[in-house]
Amino acid sequence: MANTDKKPLVLLIDDSIDVHRLLQVRLRHEQIDLISTTKPSEAVELARQHKPSTILLDIEMPGLDGFEVLRALKDDPATNTVPVIVLSGKGGSEDKVTAFDLGATDYVTKPFDLAELRARLRAALRLEHLLRLLAERADVDGLTGLGNRAAFNKRWAEKVAEARRYGSPLSLAMLDVDFFKRINDTYGHPAGDQVLVGLAQLLQSESRTPDIACRFGGEEFALIMPSTAPAEAEIVAERIRAALAKQIWSRHPDSPITVSVGLVGSSGPIGDVSPERWLEAADKNLYAAKRTGRNRCITSDVLEVIPGAAKQA
Amino acid sequence: MSTPIHTQTNTPILSTYASDPDMLDLIQLFVEEIPDRVRTIQDFWERKDLAELKRIAHQIKGASGGYGFPSVGDAAGVLEHQLTSTPTPDLSAVSRQVAELIDLCARVRVA
Repeated sequence: MANTDKKPLVLLIDDSIDVHRLLQVRLRHEQIDLISTTKPSEAVELARQHKPSTILLDIEMPGLDGFEVLRALKDDPATNTVPVIVLSGKGGSEDKVTAFDLGATDYVTKPFDLAELRARLRAALRLEHLLRLLAERADVDGLTGLGNRAAFNKRWAEKVAEARRYGSPLSLAMLDVDFFKRINDTYGHPAGDQVLVGLAQLLQSESRTPDIACRFGGEEFALIMPSTAPAEAEIVAERIRAALAKQIWSRHPDSPITVSVGLVGSSGPIGDVSPERWLEAADKNLYAAKRTGRNRCITSDVLEVIPGAAKQA
Repeated sequence: MSTPIHTQTNTPILSTYASDPDMLDLIQLFVEEIPDRVRTIQDFWERKDLAELKRIAHQIKGASGGYGFPSVGDAAGVLEHQLTSTPTPDLSAVSRQVAELIDLCARVRVA
């Protein structure tokens, strides 16, 4: 998570250099780090990069106006939970309603009453802190400590959007424990839990730092591999598959556990493929792995698996 | 023809934050930059570039209060409003307001 040990980061978006100077000085004694931009066109990218705890956003800017920036921030899964305090020279209720409807957390009129601005900023930071705690709890699978289905959906949407924006490679592996029901039925649920925890640990130890492992549900896991082409991703998935097959289990030392893997990826730009279609494609390969004997990884280019998707030249 | 500036009162205008040590450097910077802003206002007014004039009035309105010069900010606000209110602004009123704003700016001091 960004910024857990550091002071909370606040991003200021305002076209007036005066406002930047004033707030740098006026917020000097708050326990925050302030970064700022005068260019609305850069604002969303900065927010994506730095994941600030709160954004102060001027509404009246030339070019891209503040409401458009607000809309873009709220449309982007990477930034849509960051509280935004709108700064405006207009006190009219129409602008306030628009700001709140677009997802703003608070609204402050210029010229600022500084005590009020500080108090509102602190309130927004408190809110962000609570949201973050709540999100962390809500996103963790209790048994394995990995991200749960909700966490997967969120991170996966982010990574698909990123790959699409930058035309970068991306791979997704879906892993399903073979004959899991038989383990539960034969050795009891604690044995089944041990397998799930064991696989979760392998997913973390055998993957790379940017990879994201989640428990998708039941005995099914997902491994997101950002900036990774399918051939490279297959090496990671194979490593996990092989390590699991070799593992000796204290509750059933003579019964090894295996996993089937459906992997899809792209080596570069593929245009607009939704997160859900990626998932369907990975599932297809997973079923193919099951059908053809289990304990294997089936890999393909995502566009080859999606029905009807034209392969781009 | 540029507008003659009759400064009847030369009373200096000090920042309401003048006693705040955090603000001293900023107030100084603002005061140092004021002649530039005045020149810019005069320039846009002489060229009757009302859109740019309105933009700088808006800037000054927003900034002055923050530096502790609310009277300058108010005058800039009136000017901005005049340039916004009607399809064709009342140029004689705008002219008086430009003069008023420039006069106030000329009296701004650090201490």
